[in-house]
Amino acid sequence: MEPAAEESLVERARRGDPAAFESLVLAYQTLAFRVAFVIAGDAAEAEEAAQDAFVKAHGALGRFRAGEPFRPWLLAIVANEARNRRRAGGRRAALALRAAAEPGAAGVDPEAAAVATERRERLLAAVEGLRESDRDVLVCRYFLDLSEEETAAALGIARGTVKSRTHRALARLQEGLG
Amino acid sequence: MTHLELELRDLAAHLDIPPTPSLTGVVSARVVRRRHRRRMLALALAACVAALAIALVVPTSRASLLRFFHLRGATVTLVDKLPPLTPRLPLGEQIPLHGVSFHLLLPSGRRPQGVYAGDGGYWLRYPGLLLFEFDSGPGAQILKKAALGRTKVEHVDVGGEPGIWIGGRHALYLPGGPPRAAGHALLWQYGPLTLRLEAAVGRDQALALARSVR
Repeated sequence: MEPAAEESLVERARRGDPAAFESLVLAYQTLAFRVAFVIAGDAAEAEEAAQDAFVKAHGALGRFRAGEPFRPWLLAIVANEARNRRRAGGRRAALALRAAAEPGAAGVDPEAAAVATERRERLLAAVEGLRESDRDVLVCRYFLDLSEEETAAALGIARGTVKSRTHRALARLQEGLG
Repeated sequence: MTHLELELRDLAAHLDIPPTPSLTGVVSARVVRRRHRRRMLALALAACVAALAIALVVPTSRASLLRFFHLRGATVTLVDKLPPLTPRLPLGEQIPLHGVSFHLLLPSGRRPQGVYAGDGGYWLRYPGLLLFEFDSGPGAQILKKAALGRTKVEHVDVGGEPGIWIGGRHALYLPGGPPRAAGHALLWQYGPLTLRLEAAVGRDQALALARSVR
């Protein structure tokens, strides 16, 4: 969304325009749900977390600083809700790969596909085996494609910490893969 | 970008992430409910402040405020001593049943002996039963009571709506008037209205009567 359009929607939502807030929800619901899902690890929990986050964001619009980007601010709320649910739920379900293409499907070399899937499964297991802080930073940066600034907002850490933690997490991941 | 980082990006494209459910409708509904709850809370708070102010200007209860009961448009304050009470006053101007500004609710559909406009609402007189109905919409706070500490006052459920039962003698404050003597009474909310039923009956009978008011 264009920054000017977003700023205008946020301003209208702050003044109580329900259609403007609905447009913001529509624009960010996919991102909010994906962030909540990779953190909470469960679709139902992710949906609840995303809903709660939007409702809380609406209630906190009065404290939102005009001119600031809305996306990182919202991400921080979503990620916080998802982390709370992960903590409350105890063990988080691990992320999984989509089902592989049917063997023999057109354009798919069965052997190459099997090797790639195995490699991805190993990599995903290694990511899931990292300590939570390392896993979360990699998930935000590479699975969700968040910027350093957005990752910092989502995880509630400084931008410099995102850099150092990403570096550390990649090194540990490489080590884990052998 | 290193090979490992490229592999992580490739992995992202193969993750099993469920499709995003539509959140707009649910979120909008929750925002509306939350706003409504906050407004009702603000109204209840304002009502309590108003009730406290009233209680404090009643000299006999100034130093002896015990407890509040509240529902939309009505507050019952428990005090240890009632103020001097005037006898019941005329109910207001008698009007035809169809001459009211909102749809009146009637017990078991029975027509009243008389309908009177006054005190910000309508009085409906039946043999042995007096019903008062008023629109307790935004900010309306027209019915206030102070009940003696020994009088039984409790929250009740009237067909799923909140109510207050006052099982004994108490003082009834209506806007601009002196405190009036009142007997057993049941207050409850129904849609946008708040109703007050007064009759020489016990709690259960009053509740049965109230549930028949539709």
